Formats: sequence, structure tokens, C-alpha cells
Amino acid sequence: MVEAEAAGLIAIGAGLAVGLTGIGAAIGEQSIGSAAIGVMAEDPGFFGKGLLMTVIPESIVIFGLVVSLILLFVF
Amino acid sequence: MLKPEKMTKVVVVGTKDVLEQTIETLHRMNLFHIADYDESESGFKIGKPHTIASKLSERLVTLRSIANQLGLSEKSSIKGRVSAKELPSVIESKLSHLEEEVSSRQDAIRVAETELKTQQDLEDAIKPLATLPLSLEDYTGYESIRVFVGFIDNAIEDAIRAETSQYELYTGSFDGRGTIALAVPVEKEAEITKVLQDESTFVELKPPKLEGSPQSLLDGIKNKKEELSTRLTGLESERERIKTEYAEFILSSEEYLTIETQKAEAPLKFATSENSFVAEGWIPIDRYDDLGRRLSESTGGKIYVSKLEVDEEEEKHVPIALSNPKAAKPFELLVNTFSTPKYKEIDPSLILFITFPLFYGLMLGDIGYGVLLIFLSWIIMSKVKSGGLHELCIILLYSAFSTIFFGIIYGEVFGLPLFNIVHHGVVEEYGILAINGPHIGMLHLPVHRFAAVQPLLAMTFVVGILHVTLGLLIGFRNVGVEHGVKHAVLEKLCWLLILFGGIMAIVPAMPAIMGSATMNTQDPIFAGGIVLVIVGLILLVKGEGPIAIMEIPTLLSNVFSYARILAIGLSSAGIALAVNTICKDVLFTQGGVFFAVGILVLIIGHTINLLLGIIGPGLHSLRLQYVEFFTKFYEGGGTEYDPFGFIRKYTEE
Repeated sequence: MVEAEAAGLIAIGAGLAVGLTGIGAAIGEQSIGSAAIGVMAEDPGFFGKGLLMTVIPESIVIFGLVVSLILLFVF
Repeated sequence: MLKPEKMTKVVVVGTKDVLEQTIETLHRMNLFHIADYDESESGFKIGKPHTIASKLSERLVTLRSIANQLGLSEKSSIKGRVSAKELPSVIESKLSHLEEEVSSRQDAIRVAETELKTQQDLEDAIKPLATLPLSLEDYTGYESIRVFVGFIDNAIEDAIRAETSQYELYTGSFDGRGTIALAVPVEKEAEITKVLQDESTFVELKPPKLEGSPQSLLDGIKNKKEELSTRLTGLESERERIKTEYAEFILSSEEYLTIETQKAEAPLKFATSENSFVAEGWIPIDRYDDLGRRLSESTGGKIYVSKLEVDEEEEKHVPIALSNPKAAKPFELLVNTFSTPKYKEIDPSLILFITFPLFYGLMLGDIGYGVLLIFLSWIIMSKVKSGGLHELCIILLYSAFSTIFFGIIYGEVFGLPLFNIVHHGVVEEYGILAINGPHIGMLHLPVHRFAAVQPLLAMTFVVGILHVTLGLLIGFRNVGVEHGVKHAVLEKLCWLLILFGGIMAIVPAMPAIMGSATMNTQDPIFAGGIVLVIVGLILLVKGEGPIAIMEIPTLLSNVFSYARILAIGLSSAGIALAVNTICKDVLFTQGGVFFAVGILVLIIGHTINLLLGIIGPGLHSLRLQYVEFFTKFYEGGGTEYDPFGFIRKYTEE
């Protein structure tokens, strides 16, 4: 019983880790992305820099993902 | 390979009487990247375009507008090639005639279209009136009577009767709404207007000022519309005929005129004095002798060609011609999309050639999808013979082979197991081949992705560390070449020290962090790692200031970022597994209609997963290159090599 509860809590924790970080990154990328597309409309040469800037918040999701993978498969 | 082609700056000096031959030769060689002349530098003036330039470009504009009106694009193809020698006289005789023919057709089409639109509007206005028993002339032309016409949804007669007994009301219905025509004395206009306004569904109509019954008018309009459509179809097919008849002429003359305009305007980039000209530009160094020989041949030796010394400032302006083996060429597209490399930088196309398909295959890893991708890219490649899409398909093809390779390692065919799944020596599920996976060295196939998350996660980190290290090493080389070894140590080596020091410190500490053992701080590897990190930090702060410490988590997130290789692979394998399970365990067991539904689910599910499988791994593999790898060494910002010349498609000399 306790074990099952623990497994459930771990699963919920893993889900939260990915889900919440995903929402956070999405909010961050939303404004950066629209600005980057605006710049690219002016000068397509900014594609590389624009992409770089846009995906910066994504590292948070990766942290979330790693945390959840560790939760699920290591604990 | 790994470096842009070696370029040299060349100056070409001659007298004006050989200017034309020089331009002709340079253009034909398609080799000379002209460096624009800046008038402020010395006493020379920018050259004047050839006198025929304006005439040529005028014709070019006419021709392009014709091509535009006919809907001819550059992608259209023609049979064979047209001789450029005959074109000037053909253009002379045909162009104005063609222009007139096309523009008169175009005008006629426009008139017919406008007329059609007018008739359509008229029809729309009359149609509701056809439901009322009045002729159109009945609506207008009164002095003492006001006529209201419009749509209304509710009965209104009682409200009107309350205002006046002198009225005449006709009702009908059109398209689910009621229509009315109401005539009242002019002195009652204000009251009736108010009644109608209170009835909120009233929308007033303006009857057109015509005579006759609406129905007969509608019949007339219908006939007229039919006649107009026939005329329009006739005109359009005639335009189509002109298009096919003149396609060869238009495309070849456009090319010819573009080339001639280029040549005529070339002196604008040269420095000239009264009797001489000077042209500066860049060419690949191994073509220098060829250029000199060809130029002196065409001008009878009356030209001076020489290499120029390039100082550091000018090196920034060297045009970049990437030079890679043919197989790696398509990856130049990915590099150029990010930014063209600088002259002294490493050109990473060749590295992408290996790592991009590698990451892609690691992510998608499925034999079935790989085979489908090969077919897909092969079909597109046979349809689109050149351009960006063609190159992307070659990249996709490489990635597909890598997908098949890792599909064998993962043992997956459309999410189904390739080899038997064996658990404690007992076959749990038979694979497609119905054999147990072979042992290759240490590796025991298949490496089942859902069962081996931990080792695969560890593998992604190793891949990440290797990739980032490679990036930092190239960065070390780039900075070393450009600014010297000291800068390279302070900017790049410090990061390598922190990265490897960190790994050496964290790996032995892992059990303690997980809480399963106590930490041995005397461990020499751990201690060595700490020392490396500290040395790295000192170098980092010395090189870039204390603010650079903020950047350290980026290194961590860069390495963690490679976990996406596993994550995307799991999601793609998960979707495939879900589709298969739904079909096999739920739908197929029911039989009958469900069997057909199952097939449908199978096809749709795997198609969607394949599309996701192109987009997801493609973008993320690219992102790992651009964000994690390129940032370690790549600056870019070079100018692309754009030689003076033209690659003929429709004409020949």
C-alpha cells in the first residue's frame, strides 16, 4: 500500500516536473518567438540568432525532463 | 574541407578599349566576385554603364511583366536551348508584337471580369425583389408617396395600421427571410420609419433604377452572364495558347536580357579614369592562372592582372565559397541558413554530415519508418531536381539510412519488435524475424528503448559531452587562429577544464548524491576534478570577468539538452506502440467491421507518427547543432561568394 502510494506520488511528481516546466518555457518562448519572427521578416539573415534566442527557455523543460526521468527510473 | 575555399584578391587593369572583352570573359568564366569600388578612396570614378543598359533593362521589365501576366515562372522548363546569337533580332521583331497581344488580351479579360462582377451585383440586388409582385419602375418616381423596401422577419401590418389607414403592403419571402414593399403617404414617413426601426429585423433595400419585372430582368442577366463566361473562357484559353506558344521565347529572352544587363551594368562596380579601368575582386586561388591566361587571350595581352596583398581588415570581406566533398554538400545549406562562416573559421558542414543523421537516427530509430523515408525522399528528389528542397531530401535520405541502422539496434519495425522479446530465458513475444537478437561484442540486440531508459539516458549525456567537447575544441582552434593561443586558453580551454573537471567530480559523487553511499572525498579522481574546475574558473574569470560565472549553468543545460534524443525517441516509439496495441489487442480481436477500422487506425496512426517523425527529430537534431554545438565555436557573418556570371538554363552561346 505504502509502496503503491509512493509510486503514485513519484509519477505525479514526474508529471508535474515536465508539465509545469513545459508551461513555463512556452510562456517564455511565446514572446521571444514572435519577436524573432518579426526580426526575420525584416532580415532573414537573423534566422540563426533568432532560433538561438527562441530556444533558450527550452533548457528548463530539459531540466524538468531529466528530473522526471530520474524520478521514474532511478528511484 | 572543413575550411572555406582559399581565395585571393585580384586586380584587373586595362584600357577602356578592352573593357568590353574583359567583362565578356569575366562573365563567361563565372568566377570573379567583384568587390564594389568605393569612390572616396582615390581619384578614380565609378564607371558608367554601357549605353545600351537602359534599353536592355527596359525590355527586361516589359518581358518580366509579360511573363508575370501569363503566369510563367522561372521553374517552367522548355525543350532544348535557344542560341543566344539569334535572340537579339528575334527580340527586336517579336517583343512589341507580343506585348500588344498579351496586354490587349489582358485588358479584354479585365473588362469581361468587371462586367461579370457588375451583373452579379445587379442580380444580387434584384433577386429579393423578384419575390414581390411589383415591377421595378413601381418603386420610384412618386412625389406624394414614400416606398419602403426591405427584409423583415416579423409581421408588421398591425403596427402600420395603427399609424395610418392609407397604405399598401406587399410581402414575400426570400432565402428564409420575409421581404416587404410598403407604400405610404409622404407625410407619414417619419412615423412609419420609426415603426420600422423599432422592429429591429428590418434591413432596407435599394431597388435599382430599372424598368420591367424583376423576373424578366433576371433572365436577361442570366443570359448576359453566360455570354460573359463564355467570352472569358475563350480569352483565357487564348492566353494559355500564347503562353505555350511563346514560353520558349519569353524564358530564353529573359535569360539573355538578364545576362546582357548584368554585363552592361558591370562598369558600375569598376573604378575608371578617362581611358582606363580598374576592377578588383576575389577568385579561388587555384583559378588565378586560368583567369590571367583567359583574360590576356581575349584582349590580346592588353591587360594587367595581379594578385593583391590582403591585410587583416580586408580579410573580413573575403567572400566565402564553401568547399566540401560532394556527399556533404547538402549540409552547407544548414550551415548557410544559420550564417555563412567567416574566412578563417572552420566550416562545420562536414561535421554536420556525420552528426545530423546520427542524432536523427538515434531519435527515430525504426526500420519501417526509415524505409518509408527513403521512398519519400527518393520520390521528392526525382520530382525536384535542384534547389533547397532537393538538398533537404538528400539530408533526409542520409537520415533515413541512419534511422534504419538504429532501428536494427532498437529492434523496431513500425513499433513492432524485430527480434523475440526474451525475459529470463523465456520468449514473451515473438518478433517479426522470430529469432533471438544476436550478440555483437558487448551489445546484446535489441536494445529495447522502454526497458533501457537508464543506460540510454547515460548514453545521451555521453553523446552530449562528446559533441560539446568537439565544439569547444574547434572553438579553441578558431580563437587560436584569429586572436592567438592566450585568448583561446582563456575563452575555450577554461570551459573544457570546467566540463571535464565537473564530470570527474560528479561521477564518483553520484552514489552519495543518490543517498546510497557515503562520499569518499579522498578519491583522487574527485579531487582532481575539483582542481580542474577551480583552474578553469580562474581562467574564465581572468578572460571574461566574474560575470562569466553566470554562464556555467548553461554548460550543464547544454549537456542535459541531449536528453531530448531519448525523450523524442521514446515519444515516437510510444505513439507507434499505442497505435499497434489499439489495433492488435482491441480492434483486430473483434473481427468483422472492426478489422477494417483497425486497418484504418493503423494507416492513419503511423502516417501521423511518420510526419511527426520527420518534423520532431529533424528540428531537434538541427537544434542540437545550432544551439549546443555551434555556440561553442561558430560566429559566422561572412559574405557568400557570388561570382560575376550566370548559369544558363535556357540559352547557349
